[in-house]
Amino acid sequence: MGRIVGIDLGTTNSLVAYADALTGQPKCIPGPYGSTLCPSVVSIDTDGSVIVGQPAKRRLLTQPERTIYSVKRLMGRGPTDIQDELKLFPFRIAPASRNVIRVRLGDKVFTPPEISAFILRELKNWAEAFFGETVDRAVITVPAYFNDAQRQATKDAGRIAGLEVLRLVNEPTAAALAYGLHEKQRGKVAVYDLGGGTFDISVLKLISTSEGDIYQVLSTNGDTHLGGDDIDNLLQAFVHELILQHDRVDFSPHGELAQELRKALIQVKHQLSETEAATLRFSLPNGKVFTHEFTRGALDALIRPVVDRTMGPVKQALADAQLKPADIGEVVLVGGATRTPLIRRTVQEFFDRKPHTELNPDEVVALGAAVQANILDRGVKNMLLLDVTPLSLGIETYGGAVAKVIPRNSTIPASAQELYTTGVDNQTGIEIHVLQGERELAKDCRSLARFTLKVPPAPAGLPRIEVKFLIDANGILQVGARDLRTGEQHSIEVQPSYGISHAEIERMLEESIEYAEQDFAERQLIEARTEADTILAATVKAQANPKSAELTADEGAKIDASVAALKESVAGTDYKLIRKRIDELNRATEHLAELLMSSAVSTALEGRKLAEV
Amino acid sequence: MSTATTSTNSEKVLDYFAIFGVPRKLWIEMSELEQKFLQMSWKLHPDNFVNATEQERELSLKRSSELNDAYRTLRDPIARVEYLLGIEGERKEGEKKQQAPPELLEEVFELNESLEELREARASGQDLTGLQARLETAEKSFQEKLGEVDAELQSAAREWDATLTVDSAARKKVMARLNELLNRRSYIRNLVTNVAKELGEV
Ligand SMILES: Nc1ncnc2c1ncn2[C@@H]1O[C@H](COP(=O)(O)OP(=O)(O)OP(=O)(O)O)[C@@H](O)[C@H]1O
Ligand SMILES: [Mg+2]
Repeated sequence: MGRIVGIDLGTTNSLVAYADALTGQPKCIPGPYGSTLCPSVVSIDTDGSVIVGQPAKRRLLTQPERTIYSVKRLMGRGPTDIQDELKLFPFRIAPASRNVIRVRLGDKVFTPPEISAFILRELKNWAEAFFGETVDRAVITVPAYFNDAQRQATKDAGRIAGLEVLRLVNEPTAAALAYGLHEKQRGKVAVYDLGGGTFDISVLKLISTSEGDIYQVLSTNGDTHLGGDDIDNLLQAFVHELILQHDRVDFSPHGELAQELRKALIQVKHQLSETEAATLRFSLPNGKVFTHEFTRGALDALIRPVVDRTMGPVKQALADAQLKPADIGEVVLVGGATRTPLIRRTVQEFFDRKPHTELNPDEVVALGAAVQANILDRGVKNMLLLDVTPLSLGIETYGGAVAKVIPRNSTIPASAQELYTTGVDNQTGIEIHVLQGERELAKDCRSLARFTLKVPPAPAGLPRIEVKFLIDANGILQVGARDLRTGEQHSIEVQPSYGISHAEIERMLEESIEYAEQDFAERQLIEARTEADTILAATVKAQANPKSAELTADEGAKIDASVAALKESVAGTDYKLIRKRIDELNRATEHLAELLMSSAVSTALEGRKLAEV
Repeated sequence: MSTATTSTNSEKVLDYFAIFGVPRKLWIEMSELEQKFLQMSWKLHPDNFVNATEQERELSLKRSSELNDAYRTLRDPIARVEYLLGIEGERKEGEKKQQAPPELLEEVFELNESLEELREARASGQDLTGLQARLETAEKSFQEKLGEVDAELQSAAREWDATLTVDSAARKKVMARLNELLNRRSYIRNLVTNVAKELGEV
């Protein structure tokens, strides 16, 4: 079995990390552009090939209709949930969607888990290139406040990407693991995580026992649709209005121009975390340049509502843990948006304590995922993570009310048994509706699943069927039933209210393997071309060397022919042919390579390729 | 949903007290319970079984969820009483759930009247301050009653622990008392929640 990696599948950026085999130290793996951050952007080219990360991000400006960002916002959601998002984000939703959203990218249509799978597969490639071996198992992080459907969608994405998802870990919990605060401090820790699209607050208790350290989550809360994106939306709406008033230029909120404005505004926003003022310069289609001077104070006033929205969940999480701000020993800030000075100040004032920011807020979640991967892989026995379910699990009862069977902040795995019987003679089925949420009425909670319990015909009230609801260590629901009169297990086909069926996932997996083959060929081509460039350049250099005069005319002609043949193959797309021609040129230049070396070393290095000399 | 009737815990065979190896007493030393919980979590948690057989993984999931359910229940003093009565077969919510306990009848009647007046006054846009103050006083009075019930529950719980070795008739009597107190408690709590909700809407 291959390695287990830790993946932070973020709204804005995704990362992959591993734990060092010897020291257990977690590290992020860099991608082909040197950065460990993979922008969570996916673009589909006209020929159907998939582009992920940095190059896809550039295409947001040139090919917005084939490119998508912040797809995490759509994970595990139904068409009716996302109407508000559609006003703010340029998602192109395909009309044929049922309970699962389908997004249009160019002339193709994908579900959110499929798009997330492209990102996961890219990170898998990074890790495989780094280790030189297959990577097929992963720990993936999710916002702590993700519900069952959002978690299931993330797990599906892993499966479609060809990864066995061994555990979903909550992002703030992962951050606490990465900080390993237990070494310095034992006590209560609050993790405040504001990323691009989601907000989480978790309260943990760190306990050291003779067996090792326990990270026990006491409570968690949050908002899965609150983050830096919302700050960007506020800025964009504000500047749109200014441009409309001053220059009478109106543009579609989802077009290329809007994307460019958004990009410029994000830069201004980041700048204002460092300096007191920053200027927006933006070229309008009418040739004019719109400029606006932002002060940090003006930004603070604009984003105050977003910051305030995070404080409700913070207070609720503390109340649920039965703690006061003063009981918290350590505060940890996670997520790029916590670089904003107003947010740092607000959190610091609330807890009356300087928060930890030592670890890079972009990497800390991925690092924690790698720590958890290490615990699972090697059975690291000196660390234990006890997490909780963020939302109460309930069953619909008479009159559309909800009976809570597993309260929020229960340590997971957690379960509940309910006993069902029939109301009329020979009734053959009992309808069960499972929900998640804190509200009292079913219509205000999140529907997870509906199913019908099959009952053998019998007089009313006689059947006794026990249904077991179990939330596993990933925070995902499992349902089982048992006929108490016969002891027979019933298997229940639970159709999730929002989610993809098992069969669909398998089909997507097959399709994605086709994509993967395409991806593979593409990567091979890029690598072969790069290698060809290197050897061609080395050959030109070597031929310019006076020593090359010692070659025979025949040898010289052979080199020239091989160079021409390689150049021709590089213009095509057959990576196998390029490799073949590289080998041919290498053979043709063997003597030349030797001539370039002093005779002393030439014997030691015999058979070396020209590019290595 | 109309055909489903649910009832909890009447068929539960799993004994949460036995999981922790403690007697069925209502007074529990919390730090000891926590120690045992953490110790057993080390052994049972699914994280330890990722590379194990399917069977072992299933078992770890079952056992660790039972451990967590047991800890969640026994840690909470009210849930603990409720659970104990359940496994002893003495928890009876009955149809009386919606009925006011006799000694509260008068006050509940007044409260409902005030609530009705408040709703009418709000609907016709009248001044609410007087009514609001009256309701706030009533809410406080019921809050105090909740405290009294909790104190009575505590004393009944001590009685239960003392009767563990005594004859079953005495134990049945204590359980009936505990059951009645639980019902009263949930009735008053519902009242307080409803009043708080009405006041919140003002
Ligand atoms: N210097 C900065 N000042 C203010 N905001 C910043 C700064 N740097 C990054 N951000 C913001 O942080 C957000 C991205 O944070 P991060 O990479 O932690 O999110 P994510 O992990 O992708 O999202 P999530 O965790 O919500 O899924 C973006 O909105 C970005 O604009
Ligand atoms: Mg994040």
